[in-house]
Amino acid sequence: MIALILKAVLQTALLLALAPLLSGFIRSLKARLQMRRGPSPLQPYRNIFKLLRKGMVMPDTASWLFSATPYIFFLTTLTAGLMVPTVAADTPAGLFGGVLALAYLLGLGRFFLALGGLDTGSSFGGLGSSREMMISALAEPTLMLAVFTVAIGAGSTALAEIARVAIGQEWRFLEPSQMLACAALFLVLIAETGRIPVDNPATHLELTMIHEAMILEYSGPYLALIEWGAAIKQLVLMTLLINVFWPFGLAAGWTFPGALAGLGWLVVKLIALSCVIVVVETANAKMRLFRVPELMSVAFVLGALALISSFLF
Amino acid sequence: MEALLRELEQASGGAARVMESRAAEIYAKAPLAAIPEIAQALLGVPGARIVAVFAEDRVEPEGVFYNYYVFERTGVEPYLIVRAAIPAADPRFPSLSASLPALNWQEREIQDWFGLEAEGHPNPRRVALHDNWPDVHPLRKDFDLRAKLDAFEGERHTYRPTLGEGVFQIPVGPVHAGIIEPGHFNFAVAGEPILYLQLRMFYTHKGTEKLFESFPVSKCVFLAESVSGDSAFSHATAFSQAVERASGIEVPLRAEVMRTVLLELERIYNHIADIGAMAMDVGFVIANAHAGRIREMVLEVNEELTGSRLLRGMACIGGVRRDWSPAQIAALPAKLSRVEAEFRSMRELIRYSDSTRDRLESTGFLSPEKAAALGIVGVGGRASGVDLDVRRDHPYAAYRRFSLRIPSFSEGDVLRRMCVRTDEVYASIALICAAAGSIPAGPHRAAEVAVPPGRYALAAVEGWRGEILYWVRTGPNQTIERCKIKDPSLNNWPALVEAVQGNIIADFPVINKSFNLSYSGTDR
Repeated sequence: MIALILKAVLQTALLLALAPLLSGFIRSLKARLQMRRGPSPLQPYRNIFKLLRKGMVMPDTASWLFSATPYIFFLTTLTAGLMVPTVAADTPAGLFGGVLALAYLLGLGRFFLALGGLDTGSSFGGLGSSREMMISALAEPTLMLAVFTVAIGAGSTALAEIARVAIGQEWRFLEPSQMLACAALFLVLIAETGRIPVDNPATHLELTMIHEAMILEYSGPYLALIEWGAAIKQLVLMTLLINVFWPFGLAAGWTFPGALAGLGWLVVKLIALSCVIVVVETANAKMRLFRVPELMSVAFVLGALALISSFLF
Repeated sequence: MEALLRELEQASGGAARVMESRAAEIYAKAPLAAIPEIAQALLGVPGARIVAVFAEDRVEPEGVFYNYYVFERTGVEPYLIVRAAIPAADPRFPSLSASLPALNWQEREIQDWFGLEAEGHPNPRRVALHDNWPDVHPLRKDFDLRAKLDAFEGERHTYRPTLGEGVFQIPVGPVHAGIIEPGHFNFAVAGEPILYLQLRMFYTHKGTEKLFESFPVSKCVFLAESVSGDSAFSHATAFSQAVERASGIEVPLRAEVMRTVLLELERIYNHIADIGAMAMDVGFVIANAHAGRIREMVLEVNEELTGSRLLRGMACIGGVRRDWSPAQIAALPAKLSRVEAEFRSMRELIRYSDSTRDRLESTGFLSPEKAAALGIVGVGGRASGVDLDVRRDHPYAAYRRFSLRIPSFSEGDVLRRMCVRTDEVYASIALICAAAGSIPAGPHRAAEVAVPPGRYALAAVEGWRGEILYWVRTGPNQTIERCKIKDPSLNNWPALVEAVQGNIIADFPVINKSFNLSYSGTDR
């Protein structure tokens, strides 16, 4: 029992601490690639700290939904993070079918974000919410398909079990089904974290925003929670991709040296994945909004093919 | 030319009379009532176009207001300016906007600023003075520049409601994200597609035309520089040329060539920034990073030549303010060919980015018919088949001496507006290199600059956005009696309304950027 609590505390701390750094790292890597100096990778911590101390402006039209949304989004994302293997295959929580619960916890957070965007009555919030829903309607099932492909091999939808089975089969990701599923999950990652070519996290143009348009009315501590939550979501999805498909260096249980090695590997793999994301972001323009469902359909088809081919090969 | 004047005579039933014929402009006078027929007859020919309409208060000396209608025709160098007197006792004139939508805002400006009613205007609401202005007409001579007006009480401007199942109105602005000027965009959308866009400008109306009347001529050059900051040198040159033509000041040839070089430098640095900004708006950030770097190279050339990165403080009446050494001139072609090489590689980066092309092609389509009807000028016009360029059509400075390649497309989308800019950058670099090789010796400004009173003249400059028009009448003691400014943005804002229709709202920023119009130049 104490071990379980300890694991949960440690993983929560890891998610809270590492997520802003990852966002900052991607941002500064992107700046470097564009010949800009860019902000320090520590900037997201400073932003969150700054926002937490600031006052808030609440729209007159906002209801309790507006205030509840940041907490719900933050907490659901954090809870989802507890189900993902980070430094060891074993996860602190594995409730309600593992990956199913993870998908729906993330979905719940997004649902409330969309509600929060609508709640203010601002036209940008509505715009952002409807766009987010359009994209997630395809991203969500793709996430499921991709993870199911792996789950079938492991015989379980619990992510801890999936990771445990994967240990020792490090080259399994070269199987066709694994590669297809990995590609599908990568596209979901791009869409869910609001990156180019789906969304532009750095734009100031309200009319083109998706994620940012939904949270345009938030300020102060609420905004800090949402930004922190979004960073955690990005970390969770990236970790999911990494540890399900390339479980290199992942220890089976939470032993001190194992976890430490796992953490080292996790950081190395996050850096590698960040580089891929940054290259994709820099080499591409943002898609026309109505092309995004096409991209997501491609992801869905990849996911479906992955699932089918896992039976064939 | 003669044919034009004959048509003018015929259309007015012999009532129109040529007053004065100069190399660059022909003045005619006609009775007010004959104006609609004259306009119809003159514009019935292909290649004919109404350039502007503006008013002047001559109540004190002559007891009338004048309306000036400026026409041009392809292949005819001088502008034809028809003047119609409006009696002060009956301040009304027939509106032409119903058949010439290009005049919509211009006639309403006259209405707001001079209190002359545009009879039969389809939408006679205020445009240049917002509703918080009481019933005053600031460009009338009897309005004191320093007059204090009462606090605003009354109705605010209302936008036309757009109704329908699932139709929403999205107000954007007047205060925008990013560092841009104020303007209100009211979108009516059905989901993502834009059904209708209502614009409201003139938030930064500063009474610039009135201000011109309160400064000595030499100081007015600085005022012209700040009408639209990114076109500082073009505006100041247009103003200087109008004063020079009015006063008969002979500008030395060296100064004319130097002006040409500076005008093209202004075009280059703005076009490069715009191309980068368009790439930025579709999320292709790397191209913008390069554009910023290359623009900086041009700005350094500007600074070297003028002491100002944005070419301020260089224009003056009778020439340019500072001379260049032979070494400075000799270094110019090498510097610009470096810019060209870098620009070419940036251009290739954009050209080979499929995802960028996908965003730009067919987005924000402005049909050639609509562009012509709305009187679109400059980059937006040339991308939509409106092949106008003051440098070629009404040569000024030293443009007559150099060959000029003017790009023109008819596809009218965002990509073509980018292509017009790209081609113009190459053409301008070639032109500067040619000009740098042939800057004649001599003085860089006229020895004596005296502005006699009561003279008037029109001057146009092809700024990087398009045709910039200045008309001045000089006053006593080296002052300006009236200065009319027309920035290309004034014509082109309505094009945006047409170009966005049917596009999705997420594409609006890049469509807007592809025109990149000036708020300050519109509002004055």
